[in-house]
Amino acid sequence: MTKWLWFKLISVLAILAVVVGMCVLEDRIVKTSLAAVNNRCYEIEMAIERNGGIVNGEVASLVDNLEYQWFKDEAGMCYLVNHKNTEQLGVEIVRLKTYIDEEEEIEFYVSLNIIKNYVETFQHFMGAGVENIL
Amino acid sequence: MLTIVFRAIIIYIVVLFLYRIMGKRQLGEMQPFELVLTLIIADLATIPMAEVSVPVLHGIIPLLTLVVLHFVLALFCKWSGKFSQFVSGKPVIVINPKGIDYKALKNLDISIDDVFESLRGSGYFKIEQVQYAIMETNGKMSVLPKSDFAPLTVKDMKIKVEKSTIPINIINEGKIVKENLKIANIDELTIQNIFKKAGVKKVKDVLLLTIDKAGEVYLQKYYETYQTMTIKPLGEVKE
Repeated sequence: MTKWLWFKLISVLAILAVVVGMCVLEDRIVKTSLAAVNNRCYEIEMAIERNGGIVNGEVASLVDNLEYQWFKDEAGMCYLVNHKNTEQLGVEIVRLKTYIDEEEEIEFYVSLNIIKNYVETFQHFMGAGVENIL
Repeated sequence: MLTIVFRAIIIYIVVLFLYRIMGKRQLGEMQPFELVLTLIIADLATIPMAEVSVPVLHGIIPLLTLVVLHFVLALFCKWSGKFSQFVSGKPVIVINPKGIDYKALKNLDISIDDVFESLRGSGYFKIEQVQYAIMETNGKMSVLPKSDFAPLTVKDMKIKVEKSTIPINIINEGKIVKENLKIANIDELTIQNIFKKAGVKKVKDVLLLTIDKAGEVYLQKYYETYQTMTIKPLGEVKE
């Protein structure tokens, strides 16, 4: 084999490795980030139950944590996922903070449920599956 | 806007690299699967370039996937003649000594006009000049003329001629190509002698200087008519 053919073969194998690596990386990053959001939502629900409402320091602090966590993870996800698919989650998290300030508990639950629903259904419309491929 | 500029640069570099890996065939005569690949690559490359919400990787990963697929397909084509035939088709004789094979034309879905166009492109304006015409898998037509219409060759004339040699560029736009000095096996003294004969003072005055194995020299100064001369034949030229 000539040097050029070796270069070509190595390049193609490297490309294959990059493609597989990227697919695995995307799957891991997305799953980890969404699982973290899910856990934070669960913690918020528990805190509301414990404190009997949304207007308290614990819930506000947990929502802040959720916001911080999501924006940190979203920065990483931007390399791999279409921004339009993730922006809705960020918007709903910011709304949670507003609803605490305005003491709108029903609206708060609506947004929390939207976030939970997004996390649960993300893999349905973005994950690797026959229905998404077709 | 700066994002788009950087994205365009990244995608350009990636596509350029991919085309280099795929080889020169991609630039000229393409097989059907290569044409499909080229069309898709062109389209895929533009999406993340303009759409900022789409990660640049969304453009690059499909491109990389297609290149791997292309490599695998090309490998299979090399291994298996039948697979190659399935993917690229096979050459079809459209004109034989009996004339036009209309059945072949129908199978290829081409008209008589298309055949004539290809024949004219090959330099044959009358169909009776053609012995065989073959439609190749890349869509080009190869033509074998009848012996009466084939171009006259040196062999036909039975004349003894010097073997053709490729001229070697010694000076290119005012600069000596040192690598070619070694290939031609000549030194700068030889160049100085040529300069004396041609009335050239400096290397930078020369637009082009080539020498072939038989010692034929072509020298052209900037904005002047070229000169030719013969020096002693070169020694062993390194191929």
